[in-house]
Amino acid sequence: MAKKMKRYALVLDSKKCIDCKACVVACKAENEVPVGVYRNRINVEKSGEYPKLRTSFDPEQCHHCDNPSCVRVCPTGASWQREDGIVLVKYDDCVGCKYCIIACPYDARFHHPEKHTVDKCTFCVQRVDRGELPACVETCPSKVRVFGDLNDSKSPIHLLLATRRHRVLKPQTGNGPQLYYLL
Amino acid sequence: MHEPVWEFLIVNYLFLGGLSAGLYFVSGLAAWFQEDGQSAFPRLARWGALLAPWPVSLGSVLLIFDLGKPLRFWKLFFHFRWQSPMSIGSWLLVLFTLVSLVNLWAWLEQGERQGLLARIPEAIRSRIPARIRGYLDRDASAWRRTLAMAGFPLAVGVGIYTGVLLGAVQARPFWNTNLVAQMFLFSALSSGAATILLVRLLDKEAMDLKEVRFLYTLDIVLISLEFFIVLPYLIHGELSVLAVREALALILGGPYTLVFWGLFLGAGLLVPLAIEIYEFKPLLTGKGTFHLNPRLAMTAASLVILGGYTLRYVFVFAGQASGFR
Repeated sequence: MAKKMKRYALVLDSKKCIDCKACVVACKAENEVPVGVYRNRINVEKSGEYPKLRTSFDPEQCHHCDNPSCVRVCPTGASWQREDGIVLVKYDDCVGCKYCIIACPYDARFHHPEKHTVDKCTFCVQRVDRGELPACVETCPSKVRVFGDLNDSKSPIHLLLATRRHRVLKPQTGNGPQLYYLL
Repeated sequence: MHEPVWEFLIVNYLFLGGLSAGLYFVSGLAAWFQEDGQSAFPRLARWGALLAPWPVSLGSVLLIFDLGKPLRFWKLFFHFRWQSPMSIGSWLLVLFTLVSLVNLWAWLEQGERQGLLARIPEAIRSRIPARIRGYLDRDASAWRRTLAMAGFPLAVGVGIYTGVLLGAVQARPFWNTNLVAQMFLFSALSSGAATILLVRLLDKEAMDLKEVRFLYTLDIVLISLEFFIVLPYLIHGELSVLAVREALALILGGPYTLVFWGLFLGAGLLVPLAIEIYEFKPLLTGKGTFHLNPRLAMTAASLVILGGYTLRYVFVFAGQASGFR
């Protein structure tokens, strides 16, 4: 039987996030992301009234959706998806029309100020293909991030999603996001 | 929320592309109507045909300059992706521009045609095969109506496409309704009619009442259609899900409220509609005589064009500010 297809995804246990931004820095160093633009970020939300205050930190990046709207609207096919689910940009085919930036419900894409193409999180494919973890996952000191193959029933993310309640962001857009946030 | 990544270049392009579509459509319609075997509105048809190719060409250039990598624009034509409105639209723009140039050529007088051909440097002209030169210098006036018909689908396609480009983005609830395409189409057609009215008023040859009546009728119909699309857009949006209501808040109290209601809906739609209906009244009621008031006509035409532009402005910017939570 053929080897089962991989499906990469990322589980985030945001309650463990301390907003240290090590993931952001690691991403920048690994992927040479220029100053002023980011492939990943930490959304900070403050709520409540004194003295009942609450701050939540939710890391976010490209959701590597099952049905990515960025890929659909791309006029040249520069935005594409690997069979293992990772959504990438072919930088040589991108004309920089920015349609995908607008079509992404998660604001995960940006205009690269030096390459003048669109850029985004790649799940660090260069590392993943070597069998390593994405830089943000490897570096996270409070172990918020768990990366792995959803189709591998022995993988830690498979176990986590089978046993822990979780949510995805903006499921109503129909994109089928693959960043899972544990509740 | 993101800073807008599509800005005024895109607003201008959407407006200019639509304007060309409207010019071609109105010119084609004017060419189609006949009286005693003759074109009923030859001057309107000619002006429309002469103007139609230029706004869309300028708009396409702006579009290319908006690209992060302008020199790669040719890639748009070598990767056909039917799911991407932009991919389909690029082809539509090229085909429409070509047809509108052919149409322009067909509306040139013999002298103008030969004058233009004579301007081609001799070195180049002598290399054009005689057969093609013969084609270029042929009187194509018999083809004008056929060309008008052939170009209609392309003109309407370009007009609709500028709206579909925005409407097809499900991540932006301000855009994501089929009404945007219709709104942009009728706005495009009416700005075409208004532009032809404007240039005919500035033309040395005075307008005859038949022409005024034709353009007023067309404009009143088109503006009314547009208005009755804007209304359901607002009502339906307000009755829709939270994300759409939040998006509409951008024009209902939000930062684009004044531009939308004042400049677009008021000054750009209802005021010219009122002016044109007021001028048209003698034909409806039979009281008084229908005449041309050039000042009022010019005001109405300019306002329609302003409204068309403002509509693009509001949609491009407010749409990008909308999103899901």
